[in-house]
Amino acid sequence: MDLGITGRSALVVGPDDELGAACRRALAAEGVRLATSIGDGEVDILVAHSAAGGHPSLLDVQAAAELHQSWNVVVDTLDLFRAALPAMASRGWGRFVFVGAAGSRSLDAIDAIDEELDAITSLAMRAAQKVLAAEAGPANVTANSVLRGGEATADEVAAAVTFLCSEGAGYITGVSIDVAGGVGSAVY
Amino acid sequence: MDYGINDKVAIVSGGSRGIGRAIAEALLGEGAFVMISARTEVTLAAAAVELDALAPGRVAAVAADMTDPDGVQAVVDATRARFGPVSIAVSNVIGHVIDSKKEGDGPGAGNFASMPAAEYRREFQHLFVSAWALAHACIPDMRAQRWGRICNIGSGVAREPATELPHVLPNVVRPAVAGMHRILAARLAGDGITVNNILTGSILTDRNLSYWNWLAGETGSTFEAVTAGFHSRIPLRRQGKPEEMAALVAFLCSQRAARITGQSIPVDGGITRHL
Repeated sequence: MDLGITGRSALVVGPDDELGAACRRALAAEGVRLATSIGDGEVDILVAHSAAGGHPSLLDVQAAAELHQSWNVVVDTLDLFRAALPAMASRGWGRFVFVGAAGSRSLDAIDAIDEELDAITSLAMRAAQKVLAAEAGPANVTANSVLRGGEATADEVAAAVTFLCSEGAGYITGVSIDVAGGVGSAVY
Repeated sequence: MDYGINDKVAIVSGGSRGIGRAIAEALLGEGAFVMISARTEVTLAAAAVELDALAPGRVAAVAADMTDPDGVQAVVDATRARFGPVSIAVSNVIGHVIDSKKEGDGPGAGNFASMPAAEYRREFQHLFVSAWALAHACIPDMRAQRWGRICNIGSGVAREPATELPHVLPNVVRPAVAGMHRILAARLAGDGITVNNILTGSILTDRNLSYWNWLAGETGSTFEAVTAGFHSRIPLRRQGKPEEMAALVAFLCSQRAARITGQSIPVDGGITRHL
């Protein structure tokens, strides 16, 4: 299927990992140009992902600084989204996609206690996407999340990310799509 | 109904006014010992005197900044010294005000497109770190007793962001706070500790009145007009009362509610639309 985003410009931010590479590859295959920074406002598509795990569990946190360390990733991502928004809005087209943890939907998808803080920060990012969707919607800019969990491969996550960036996904905004192989028994 | 919490020791932050004050009163009414805390010493001391008249010898007050983990620890230590190990922790801290001249003590105002990064950090300290710090400081006592109640006064925006209002800060941080409580509930269930979160709707407090007055000024409207417009969207057609928040909190803190944990429960007159 032609996703209708040939010639668009995308920035993929987050750790230098397999998922980031898979997102870049999938977008490039649709003819999207890859940017390396917000630059002078040419980015049409902004994809942010974070590494899963590696955090202290909630009951092991001893100091607020450990919480702020996770929170700072949220803050930096929101700041980047905010910086990218005006140019997208002025062109009347834009896509924000956040790749977060399916653990933010169901405890079943928190595989290990070192992923608890990922679930928590993903909740904040998903809420921010809702707010951003409401504010940026009139300018034809969408904001969605992909929640990874289970045994999802980087390519499977990247496929959902790329779909949400497509022209055809233009009426989908403020939502979170799980790519988690059916893990989690929450009905909604 | 006997709530079964006679002589249990409780801490209520933001306990001098509004919702926190009503919660302190309700817990005292069930026979608990209650430590209230707030930043403003004068208001806090006055509230303690009034509450003491209702339940002599059962209430104490320590002024502290409950967004600061050191302040929280001082209050918990003082509570243990005065009443004994803590069984009930009610976290009731409001979001930070960026400019009270503009916001009328309402949530820090601003939309996504204009909110600087530093404000998200401050809001996280106020709403998330405060609740974490109180739970963290009280969990050892609760585990030792194999009985505990952790209750957070959250907001309905944790489930449905109020995107029609310029409240991006609580809209973003409150869901994270709800998630923390959900996870804590799972981790602490085996210790006889329940953890719940209240999705507060519009409750008539001094702060709430101040917010409506600010909004009326901001929109060139009147207090009556903005509240009437808002009330028409609430199925019960009115704002809640602090004692209606306290009623749920006291129930959740009771022996009867021992099987209710990890929940976010609205007290909002039915305004949230989520199924």
